[in-house]
Amino acid sequence: MASLLEDKSNRLRMTGRGGELVGAYWDELFTARERGAQVVWYNGHALNPLFQAAGISWCHGEAFSARLAAQHLEGPAQLAGEEYGYVNELCSYSRTHLGCAVLTNDFGESETGIVDTVDQRELASRLPEPDFFVNGYQGCSTGQQWDQMSYRILGKKVPIFTLSLPYMFGSKPDAGYLVGEEWETATDYVVDQLEKLIEFLEVQTGRPFDHDKLGEIMSYIKAASQLRREAMALCMAKPAPATYWDWVASIAHINFMPAEQRLIDYFQGVKDEVADRLASGVAGVADERYRLYFDGIMNWNKLGWLARKFADADAAVICGRYTHQNFWQEPQLIDPENPLRGLAQHYLLCSNSQGFKTLKQAMTKDCDDYGIDGVIFHASRTCRAYTNHQHLLARVAENQLGIPTAFFEGDIADAAFYKDEILETRLAALLETIDAKRARN
Amino acid sequence: MSAYVVGMDLGSTSAECVVIDERREIVATAVVETGTVSRKGLQRAIDEAFGEAGIERDLVRAVAATGYGRRLVPGGADFVFTEISAHARGVAALFPGVRLVVDIGGQDTKAIQVDEAGRVERFAMNDRCASGTGRFYEGLAHALETDIESLGEFASRGKADLEISSLCATFAVTEVIALLAKGHDPADIAASVHHAAAARTLGLIGQVGKASPVALTGGVARNAAVVHSLSEALGEELLIPENPQITGAYGAALLAAESLDGGSQPDQNATAPAPPHDHGGSGSCADCAGSKTESSVTMLTLTAPSGRVV
Repeated sequence: MASLLEDKSNRLRMTGRGGELVGAYWDELFTARERGAQVVWYNGHALNPLFQAAGISWCHGEAFSARLAAQHLEGPAQLAGEEYGYVNELCSYSRTHLGCAVLTNDFGESETGIVDTVDQRELASRLPEPDFFVNGYQGCSTGQQWDQMSYRILGKKVPIFTLSLPYMFGSKPDAGYLVGEEWETATDYVVDQLEKLIEFLEVQTGRPFDHDKLGEIMSYIKAASQLRREAMALCMAKPAPATYWDWVASIAHINFMPAEQRLIDYFQGVKDEVADRLASGVAGVADERYRLYFDGIMNWNKLGWLARKFADADAAVICGRYTHQNFWQEPQLIDPENPLRGLAQHYLLCSNSQGFKTLKQAMTKDCDDYGIDGVIFHASRTCRAYTNHQHLLARVAENQLGIPTAFFEGDIADAAFYKDEILETRLAALLETIDAKRARN
Repeated sequence: MSAYVVGMDLGSTSAECVVIDERREIVATAVVETGTVSRKGLQRAIDEAFGEAGIERDLVRAVAATGYGRRLVPGGADFVFTEISAHARGVAALFPGVRLVVDIGGQDTKAIQVDEAGRVERFAMNDRCASGTGRFYEGLAHALETDIESLGEFASRGKADLEISSLCATFAVTEVIALLAKGHDPADIAASVHHAAAARTLGLIGQVGKASPVALTGGVARNAAVVHSLSEALGEELLIPENPQITGAYGAALLAAESLDGGSQPDQNATAPAPPHDHGGSGSCADCAGSKTESSVTMLTLTAPSGRVV
């Protein structure tokens, strides 16, 4: 591979428009206090439709950490987290967000002098303090404790609600994707949990929960998700008109942006652009020679860099576990007339909550559907939950699908764990292995 | 007539250069210890190899590079390959039929499963941990007040199997110092660390799957205790090239030659130029350029009982 002198990636134009929408969302959140809105900090699953229906402003901790990392603004928050006492092996999402809590709390002059007051002012003034916390996380033990830690940092002064969500082991005889006793029982359980969360929200807001509004919100999400999935499916074409990096760029929209008509308009725009490219033979990577599957959470510090790096090697990353097996990926399950069931089922469908059997099935399907030549695993240093199954999945790809694999180390939000030479060597070796396989065949 | 292909491997602790002729036989080799990735070190290796071969540089048909410094080749390389493909190809030429290559270099360990033609089927590399690599053994040798060349023989004298809990290149030294302070025999400590490192390498091999026969390449393959420990852990003999450090450079040269010839086999009837060369007792390229075949590569004589000399 040559050095990255020329950008051979061809990202969707809609990504720019999407960036404006995301920026507007955060700016609005930063002014929530001035508007007299209540603010909830939450982590884990996309609980935002419930908050939106309840008329609350919401801050998704992981999303804020990812945004800071993508803008290369994560340093002061991570430093504040470390200064407070969290080691750098802790999930960098949580370390960043906990650092924000430390800064938001404004303890005054830094005890150690590591985090200066400029950092405090810049970040603390932007993220409004929460009126309460809601945690809805499974499959990740840090995630389950994260809001508890924030709760303590903020002096246990605000209420906290923890949603209990089961892990889907898939070990019962009739267990399967969207079917079986485990699926039905777990769905009922989570619906019950959501009803309790709604009661909590009613207490916090002092208002009855607007179930009609939730139905309306879910109808927007359903339509947006359908468009997103249809646009993704267009990328089964060779060459693919868009890449994984485009789907990463639209995670924010599908995962936590307000559900309204402009969400549908955005994904309609994405789908139209992908369809136009397909019709006119425009590819997401100029000279697509390899089609890759990406397993792992996004390395948010490196989104643009990785898009260019893979494209530079003529490698089109087409799909991945993070983008294609999360975020309202089964819109047919959403019933606006009975929204809680669809919500519950999508929380259970998060790939962090799925046992190996389902992950294997999903990866196999995506590799078949999208004509994948190789799988690249991003072994995220501080995200154990997402890396747990990676060696097992690699074995499936190699032994059962005959697809070469490679690993590279990095992290979700801590740039220090990424080393470019490691990816450089392993990506080149993966592509050479694909070439060798083609030569054999 | 341009007859030669040059393979270069610029690694984290050394630079290697191999020159092959149009029959793809080695006519010169050079290994230069650099301490780190060094363009100067690579230049020295090139100069030594050309000096040994006694050939004019304008007879070079192509230059191939591999290793961490593969982009630092003076004047640029015509071909660039990863160490994984280069080692696989080099081993396939040295030991036809090998199915698993374990390469342990200055700061990397790689397990590479290859097909019958020496093409990579799957591979795994250590993560950012230098355990069991050349750097690791340098630290161990330093802590035990011996030199890296003697470490293998030193460890082979060890009898006890002490518990080594940390294989971090940094913390293992701390642990070694603690064991020394407790009065343990340094040879026992050395042997125990070698066993523990071999067990870790076994884990890496497990990621690609064990296959036989197995070849061990890279500078660490010169350490007889590593060969012994890994052989014991795998339960089989290891094939060791005479000069295990040049395997990557040799493989890169072969891959480049094959690319130039469209993947065809070398012309065995071709007449290789007969460059005058004086081996100066190094023996590394043998007095052999005109007659040596791939299967006649002389093997390094090892004290390790499990390293098979072919």
